Amino acid sequence: MDAVTVKDLSYQYWSEGPWVLKNINFQVARGEMLVITGLSGCGKSTLCYCLSGIAGHRRDGVMQGQVLVNGKDVQELRAASLALEAGMVFQDPDTQLFSSSVEDEIAFGPENICLPPGDIRARVDNVLDLLGISSLMEANPYHLSGGEKHLVALAAVLALDPPVLILDEVMSRLDKQGVQRVADVLKRLRAAGKTIIAVEHRLETVTFADQLMVLAKGTLARLGPIETILADQEFLAAQHLTD
Amino acid sequence: MHFLELSQVNFHYPKQEKLALDNINLEIEQKSITAVIGPNGSGKTTLSKVMIGVFPATGGKILLQGDPVSELSLAEIGRSIGYVFQNPDLQLFCGTVAEEIGFGLINRGCEPDRVKEKVDFYLDYFQLAEYRNAFPLHLSQGEKQRVAIASVLAAEPEFLILDEPTIGLDTYRKKILEGYLQKIACSGRGMVLISHDMSFVNRLADRVIQMENGHIVDDGDWKGNNGYDA
Repeated sequence: MDAVTVKDLSYQYWSEGPWVLKNINFQVARGEMLVITGLSGCGKSTLCYCLSGIAGHRRDGVMQGQVLVNGKDVQELRAASLALEAGMVFQDPDTQLFSSSVEDEIAFGPENICLPPGDIRARVDNVLDLLGISSLMEANPYHLSGGEKHLVALAAVLALDPPVLILDEVMSRLDKQGVQRVADVLKRLRAAGKTIIAVEHRLETVTFADQLMVLAKGTLARLGPIETILADQEFLAAQHLTD
Repeated sequence: MHFLELSQVNFHYPKQEKLALDNINLEIEQKSITAVIGPNGSGKTTLSKVMIGVFPATGGKILLQGDPVSELSLAEIGRSIGYVFQNPDLQLFCGTVAEEIGFGLINRGCEPDRVKEKVDFYLDYFQLAEYRNAFPLHLSQGEKQRVAIASVLAAEPEFLILDEPTIGLDTYRKKILEGYLQKIACSGRGMVLISHDMSFVNRLADRVIQMENGHIVDDGDWKGNNGYDA
């Protein structure tokens, strides 16, 4: 069974509004990493919201088609159940952080699924160590830099240990060491069977991914092995994706 | 006289002992493109906010065109320096994209015809014309970033500070921004660029300041490809 299956997906934010996604079809196998790219406003973040179930639960939104995560229809799952299937790191970490310390922020998810205190402690320590942010444990997330905030948001999602990760430009605010560290973490998570869907503009940071999807004006322009698409300079230039 | 001059500037956040900026000495000329680079949390954004008086320095002196920043109002500083925040959500507040871009111009007493002309130009240049009447906060992150940048540029300040302006921008729009920043630098209006995007820094900056742990650890003048590790 594929980890993510998207069938005939279209989405508009309100019923009279434009179709932001138009008839998207694809699958992502378990343990695979898919990168989504395309010009600003082409629907990348909206697709992330659809995959994580957020878009389908918006009161004004209109979602057509179907998104299955681990075989479960995201529109039929409650938000709390969805968070255990697909964890999403938002493009803007300020929209995601709400606790007064990094430790509390990361512990929030595990506490809310009622893990024993020892397990919560272990998960918090593990993700802090994994992302190299143990020194920030007591800091207020709002006092951190943009890149540090993004690492905390990622840590909070990883602490819930969801099988599918949806990462919306999580590397954009990171310094070179941060990008390298997150890339290493993603490779390890993929090797451990996690399915990763990541939006990125800087494709040179994610060449280790398996698949690349190029979106253009809400439609799927191309999907295939990342090395094949990156080698097609003519296509990338036509999509305005070359440096 | 330097455009901006920082002498022995310190800054620490409330209730924190550790200095976020530690003994910063820096002169910045109006006609230069100065990049500030460094690891996450090294003090780049803090430095820029101290420069424009949003965070009052806890020690030292900052002069803007010879006047102490501590004695200038934020409005006075804002007339000289346009600031693009790292997060456009902190900056956008109007009902439409066109109003957002025109806001600074109207508040500087620009004639309505001239406001319209400039708003049209910036909407076209940053490929935002189709969003003229859209609510800025309904746009994608990359589009919001372009609206925030266009709004600051439209007011044509003497100097600019842009904090991570390429976040959320695709390669194509990054090139468009680069071209415009080069153009305004050629017209004598300089800027400070804070960025992790080293290809962007290497193409634009003629001076690169590197920060670590609240200190300036490197300050180099090169034109063209600085060769900093991307």
